Amino acid sequence: MIKQISTLTKLQLKNLYGINVFRFSTDKSEKKKKLALAATYLFLILLFASYIGGMTYGYIFIGLEEMIPAYLIMLSSIIILFFSIFKAGAVIFQKNAYDILASLPVRQTAIVVSRFIRMYVENLLIALIAMLPSMVVYGIFMHPKASFYLIGILVTLFIPLIPITIATFAGALITAITSRMKHKSLVSVVLSMLLFLGIMLGISQMSAMEESFSIDMLQDLSKTALRIIQSIYPPAIWLGTAMLTGDFLLCIACISGSLLIFALVITVVSANFHWICRGLYRTGAKHNYKLKHLKKSSVLGTLYHRERKRYFSSSVYVINTMIGPIMAVLFSISVLTIGIQPIQTALGFPVDLTVVAPFLLAGIFCIMPTTCTSISMEGKEWWIVKSLPLRTKDVLDSKILLNLTIIAPFFIASELLFVCAIKPDFAELLWLIAIPVLLILFVCVFGITVNLKLPRFDWENEVTVVKQSASSFIGGFLGFVVALLCMVPCILVPAKYTTLTKLLLCFLIALITLYLYHRNNKTNLQEL
Amino acid sequence: MLKIKNLTKHYKGSNKGITDINLTIDAGDIYAFIGHNGAGKTTTLKCVVGIHDFEQGEIQINGISMKENPLLCKQQFAYIPDNPDLYEYLTGIQYLNFIADVFEVSESEREARIETYANAFGITEALGNLISSYSHGMKQKLAIISALVHQPKLLILDEPFVGLDPEAAVILKNIMRDICKAGGAIFFSTHVLDVAEKLCNKVAIIKDGVLIKTGKMEELVQQDTSLEDIFMEVLCNDKAD
Repeated sequence: MIKQISTLTKLQLKNLYGINVFRFSTDKSEKKKKLALAATYLFLILLFASYIGGMTYGYIFIGLEEMIPAYLIMLSSIIILFFSIFKAGAVIFQKNAYDILASLPVRQTAIVVSRFIRMYVENLLIALIAMLPSMVVYGIFMHPKASFYLIGILVTLFIPLIPITIATFAGALITAITSRMKHKSLVSVVLSMLLFLGIMLGISQMSAMEESFSIDMLQDLSKTALRIIQSIYPPAIWLGTAMLTGDFLLCIACISGSLLIFALVITVVSANFHWICRGLYRTGAKHNYKLKHLKKSSVLGTLYHRERKRYFSSSVYVINTMIGPIMAVLFSISVLTIGIQPIQTALGFPVDLTVVAPFLLAGIFCIMPTTCTSISMEGKEWWIVKSLPLRTKDVLDSKILLNLTIIAPFFIASELLFVCAIKPDFAELLWLIAIPVLLILFVCVFGITVNLKLPRFDWENEVTVVKQSASSFIGGFLGFVVALLCMVPCILVPAKYTTLTKLLLCFLIALITLYLYHRNNKTNLQEL
Repeated sequence: MLKIKNLTKHYKGSNKGITDINLTIDAGDIYAFIGHNGAGKTTTLKCVVGIHDFEQGEIQINGISMKENPLLCKQQFAYIPDNPDLYEYLTGIQYLNFIADVFEVSESEREARIETYANAFGITEALGNLISSYSHGMKQKLAIISALVHQPKLLILDEPFVGLDPEAAVILKNIMRDICKAGGAIFFSTHVLDVAEKLCNKVAIIKDGVLIKTGKMEELVQQDTSLEDIFMEVLCNDKAD
């Protein structure tokens, strides 16, 4: 059993981050590309590590050192949970290897555990980036005992276990429920979104409840913070306390508890593994089709129709790209129901929210456009587009069009809610529409640019493209960053120049979008 | 119909590829392209149909350069790869309609052709199912129908008989003959030398990316010899050299 787990895990890890391709590929340019990508990731890791180190110093400086370990354990656990919850089902029950593994004398538990370990390795990086720099800074300024470091390292290694177990259980449950349904992709999307919203709501309610409890919270900020963490994620407090007090027993008790939960979940998932896989990969074939009238469409129309079918056939793709629009609508609902002033206070915003609202709204819509992975999503079927008499422009336009039509209903709802909430005058209304429209157009086109530069067709699981590819990382968040950066000059310039600044920004965004659009359309798809 | 002049393509960072390929496929030809695994058959075909870019050479379809006017060239041929990876999220009929839309085939023509070929290959009743539910053979049949839906003058096929049942293989051979009789041409790779010998009027043998032998089948294959003998002889001679 251990040997099987080890063999299958090695197989999983060889495929991760394209390590095997890098080792054995004879294509030097491909290797160079991978090295450049690794250097970019390393730079981002260093950036994040510096941020964590700085934050730790800040907390020590204001006397909140007591909450640092618990806070970072909670933070990394929540990040890991969000990173794994939407892909756990796809990773555990990945289709491509099922036929091969099902015919081999391999235990179901070994398959499930190996896939779990793959997710663990991926997420351990998050725990390491969050915990190690913080421990170093804490060590320099607070001079803790050796047990702090020992328990700290042990805790760091076990941080991903609980969130991944929860994600695996949720993913398996959703997959099991939907596996025998006709519209499994759609139901899976709805259930995953409900789960996501439920967790978000739960976290916000718990923290809000704690805040209302402590009127005199400023008198003891550290205790208040710990109470909030306790209500959101109790294991963070237990593990954090174990680190600070050097309590090995508490640490081992926590780790044993999480291992026990993990073993339970693995047992349940393993027992139902084949049943779920069979349901998932069963294909209903009726064999009663009768030829009907076939309607002719334009080339762009038929490409768009194909894009739409492709998009809704992948629950991972839909979930990943729907988060932005759904969050934008939720943001607009909260502005309407709670009012703009309390939100401004809660966010700690130093300026009038109505001035920056168009950028904020646009920024949320710009998270994860479908275009930044839409070329990679063609995968092994990319030969069809390449061998057909299709113009690059039509192929790319259909991808942009899909992104726009997906965002459109959410955008209209968001705008209507926002208008009802802030009751803008004509000029404000114009900005509220023009700025998000331009930024959304920019991000759709930019997504294509990034994916044309960093395409990936050799994937076996959609998760690799949608969540782990360089283009999803760069194209997925850069739009948000650009929207926030556009906000800065509007805040900094005197009020009388705000309109002019917005006008210049719009002109600049439109210009860049047009330039990228024309450049993209000149691409020779054969070279990809 | 198809002219390949000095075609050279090497994969980046690797020695593999094809060098200085010269071939002419005329109207009425059924041209077999044979060679061992990794010899460069698929690479040549992929360069011809525009899947691979190439460093040197020229590909012309009916006198039009593939490099200069790829869209016009692609409108004149159809290609079927060795492994028919089709859009699994579409149903068979949606895929055929998609291809017909791309080639701007009229509604009545697409309906008639799909009916003819789908009935011939016996997959009409499965056309309403998702392609993901198809077997390899059914996908191959669908790929063949999609290639025929716009009535191309030139068919470029990579291992077209792999995965087909005997009945479908016979139907495909008849279709190939009909296209040639109507003034079209077929260029296809195969490992089934027996089929190539019986079906084709011309043959090209490729080894390690270089064309070793080309010519008319009747000139190459004399009495008491077979294409298999010629192929083995060419390979052995080359090894001895």
